[in-house]
Amino acid sequence: MGESCVPEHTPGPIPFDHALHGDSIGLDCAACHTGARASANAYMPSKADCMDCHRLPLTENPGIETLDSVLAKADDRPWSHKRILPEHVVFHHGVHAAAGVACSDCHGSNHMQNRYGGEKFDMQSCLKCHRGETFKEKGFKPAATYCAACHR
Amino acid sequence: MGMDRREFIKSCSLVAVMGLLFGCRKSAVLGDIASQLSVPELKRFEDEVKLAMSQAKKSLDLVKVPTPGALKIPGASTLNRFGMAIDLDACDGCGKCILACNLENNVPLVPEEDAARGRFMHWVDMRGGAPFMCAHCGNAPCERVCPTGAANHTPDGLSAMMYKRCTGSRFCGANCPVQARKFNFNDAQKLGLARQFNREVPLRDKGVMEKCSLCLHRLQNDRLEFKTSLTVGTAAEEWRGRGVKTACAEACPKNAIVFGNWLDDKSPLVQLTKNRVLYAPCELAALDPSVVFMRGRR
Ligand code: SF4
Ligand code: SF4
Repeated sequence: MGESCVPEHTPGPIPFDHALHGDSIGLDCAACHTGARASANAYMPSKADCMDCHRLPLTENPGIETLDSVLAKADDRPWSHKRILPEHVVFHHGVHAAAGVACSDCHGSNHMQNRYGGEKFDMQSCLKCHRGETFKEKGFKPAATYCAACHR
Repeated sequence: MGMDRREFIKSCSLVAVMGLLFGCRKSAVLGDIASQLSVPELKRFEDEVKLAMSQAKKSLDLVKVPTPGALKIPGASTLNRFGMAIDLDACDGCGKCILACNLENNVPLVPEEDAARGRFMHWVDMRGGAPFMCAHCGNAPCERVCPTGAANHTPDGLSAMMYKRCTGSRFCGANCPVQARKFNFNDAQKLGLARQFNREVPLRDKGVMEKCSLCLHRLQNDRLEFKTSLTVGTAAEEWRGRGVKTACAEACPKNAIVFGNWLDDKSPLVQLTKNRVLYAPCELAALDPSVVFMRGRR
């Protein structure tokens, strides 16, 4: 089914380590990716969001100095995110989160390395889960499969 | 290989135009020119509605129909069946609904030749002095003949169009007894006749059929929001689409278009049609329409 619908991430100027922020200090994805739990889109954080925490030296980690200097130079929006979901497809993050789907179920736990569907992610990947064929162990409720549920 | 004369001239003029454009002071000018060419002014949409209204069909043959009930199609919802009732006693035929629909759904303009022949893309026509749109028939003859399944029914009673699946056979248009469907014979975007007023609705390509969607995007957005607000595991109430209004209903200064859920007693549609006599165009009466007309009191 055509091109992949998963947005590609361009490496930003700031070396960001998901494991350091998520797994080790337990930050929720939606703390930085606002919207991920409640609205259609999940957004990329701005520099101001980083600075909310990083205004103070937070750890003894020697890397923190590199970070401070990079952060000082970075633009207000160090990360960009290009939506490559076609215009006629609606994907709502909030609905999935409310249904009990964890971010990592689709996005993988190690920064997209083991994401759902992998490089071949397509409409069939959506449908398989909506029909209850994948993630059986999670016990998700079967979801809508009629066209207009997701298409405009 | 080789170029024919036409292509050669075309490429020459292209080079000339490019030269002109790139000779301009700022490259932003390029974008300005392109957008001026491709985005028609609002006034043109307003004028086109006036023109369409001046050519409107005078007659509309209505017959009495019962109140729509639950859909009789496989997989249909027992909670929701959306539809509308048009109050012929309240409507004064102002046509504000047509423009509202066009802007809400990015309905394109048509070239002058088409307009002269009364071939508009408008999802709402004026017939017999009142708005007329797809009735979202419960037993839709248009959907049955679609070879690709692009025309299909949602469990909530909307006759939906999947534009990307439509291959332009036009069978559905031929099988709709009231010509509610409009076909994109033109490439409206290329001709500068399309404008995306509303980001929620995609522009349609040439060769694709369209018609009233019952403002599907408004309903679906409401459904998604509702489901997002539910907490996992609680036996919450079900979504009934309460509070949603279609663009035409919202725009009507006389409240002559009532949108709602035929299966929800709290819906304005059920409440405001309770004591009225319902009608449908005679061609559709046997097809279980979801959009009906009302007149008089019972
Ligand atoms: S009014 Fe025409 S287009 Fe609409 S559902 Fe009925 S047959 Fe189909
Ligand atoms: S319900 Fe929506 S799409 Fe249908 S006629 Fe009204 S405004 Fe247009």
